[in-house]
Amino acid sequence: MGSSETYSFKANLFIIWSEVVKNIKFMMAYPVIFVFWTIFPFFWFLPFIFQCQAFVGGLHSANFEQFTGTSDYIPFIVIGAILNGYVLTSLYGVGESMRREAYRGTLDYLLSSPSNKAFILIGKALSESIKSTMYAAIQFVVGILVFGIYVTIEIIMPIVLIIFLLILGLYGIALMLAAVSLQFKQAHDLAHTLEYVFYVFTPVRYPLQSLPFWAQVLGSFLPLTYALIAVRSLMLLKQNVLAVYQEIFLLLVVDVVAIFLGFYLFDWMEKKTKSSGSISHY
Amino acid sequence: MKRKGKEFREPKKFLCPYGFTLANLKAEMRAIWENNVKEWKIEFTYPLSFIRQSVEPLIFLLPFIVYGLVLIGGRYSDSLMSLVGTGDIVTYIFTGYIIMGFIGTSVWAMGFGIRKEQWYGTFESIYVTPTSRISLVLGMALHSVVHQGISVFFEFLVIYAIFGLALRIEGILPALGILALMMLALCGFGLFVSSLALVLKEGWIISEGLYSVLMILSPVAYPLTVLPSIAQQMSKVFPTAPALIGMRSFLIENYTPEVMGNVFLHLLALDLAWIIFGVMIFYATDVYIRKRGTLGKY
Repeated sequence: MGSSETYSFKANLFIIWSEVVKNIKFMMAYPVIFVFWTIFPFFWFLPFIFQCQAFVGGLHSANFEQFTGTSDYIPFIVIGAILNGYVLTSLYGVGESMRREAYRGTLDYLLSSPSNKAFILIGKALSESIKSTMYAAIQFVVGILVFGIYVTIEIIMPIVLIIFLLILGLYGIALMLAAVSLQFKQAHDLAHTLEYVFYVFTPVRYPLQSLPFWAQVLGSFLPLTYALIAVRSLMLLKQNVLAVYQEIFLLLVVDVVAIFLGFYLFDWMEKKTKSSGSISHY
Repeated sequence: MKRKGKEFREPKKFLCPYGFTLANLKAEMRAIWENNVKEWKIEFTYPLSFIRQSVEPLIFLLPFIVYGLVLIGGRYSDSLMSLVGTGDIVTYIFTGYIIMGFIGTSVWAMGFGIRKEQWYGTFESIYVTPTSRISLVLGMALHSVVHQGISVFFEFLVIYAIFGLALRIEGILPALGILALMMLALCGFGLFVSSLALVLKEGWIISEGLYSVLMILSPVAYPLTVLPSIAQQMSKVFPTAPALIGMRSFLIENYTPEVMGNVFLHLLALDLAWIIFGVMIFYATDVYIRKRGTLGKY
């Protein structure tokens, strides 16, 4: 590696580092937002637990077992909610990040700086990943202590790997969202619409098999589907990591496609909005 | 009048009505209406956003229904039957979920709406107009109620087309009466949320937080009896629980209310209490933040 390449590599790392530091500073400035994202996902799945108690009259459902392999619906719901947290933070964190820069009046400076924009986005994605993992770690601890989630040492590393792959796929999708928001501006509506797709077509609250065939096909394009199946197989069905190699492989394929498309789309939209002069429009 | 050789025209004077008079009431009604019209104009400027928001309640309702069907392997639950006299989970969840949008009216449209004006940069301008500040909030509420009505109608059409609904047609009018009583109390609650948003600024957290808490404390997808007793006691403070029990009594055949008592009297008492509390808190907050000079702060 030549000295200029070394310098460039260091400069790019510095961009990522600066983005992470900036976003962590924002997080520290609004601690109530951190508390919100840590606590409120529990409030969102509690109604599903009470609903099951009313409909089934206990903590186990035989019919649920036919679909999912486990009759214990509470850990199923809790794992779904924790991993779904990554979807929310990626869509609203990274997906809307460029739009937020526009609101703060810093987007023009950011895009006109002589830095590689891909590394700015990587920095944003990395800081969101750190935050999401902090939320998820706290939620997992609460899940173990309160909701009867059982974790053994040997499945921790595979779960970390699956979550890492999930993050990669989600940020690929979030990059696409950030790219589209450069042109179409209404990032919040786009993020909400994508959230609905994840909410209905992935097995967050119910197994994918309970949906119509076309909805199952749509769900199979989303990284959360494979991550949920794999993590639940390891944690709830006590399966070996080799039993979920297919889900992990498919998750990797979805990641590669999503990241490639994400960067390609962002690069294309950036050039398009710069040449049309609509980059700083609201 | 002449000043430095130029003609100076006296500014035109307007007499602002004050006190509880018919003219003043009319003016306030007009302010509410104009606020409502303004909200609709903003809404229709972003038609895709309008469509998304109209579909949203259906999107959040579907997982409750699919999850319920997976749990019991069909549409009828014996356990629910033993609790409330009806086992039809689709009709039960649908009649519960229709009120969620109206909770959104109080916590989002009224609570968060005032913060939205601040983002638009119009907050101070409308705040210093000689109208009651409550009229500003009520205008946003009026828009939201109509919007939620459209969403509920759409929700009804889709759920009826996919699953079918066993509702008593003759119960619709009394159920709407109960809904109206609930809305009065929710308006008082919405004023309270607006006050919190004025002081605490991060309005979306307050709105989302209260929405989530009300979702748990209301018998939307389950009867109150499955909640811990402390949560059951807390649910009596909010109008959604008695309203849902009352509405289901009229809309669902053989429904047995899980909580005894007169829902009309309960709702009337809550209306009175929440409206008085909401108005008092709102005015007290208004005075407090203007005295401290924090009105325009983010």
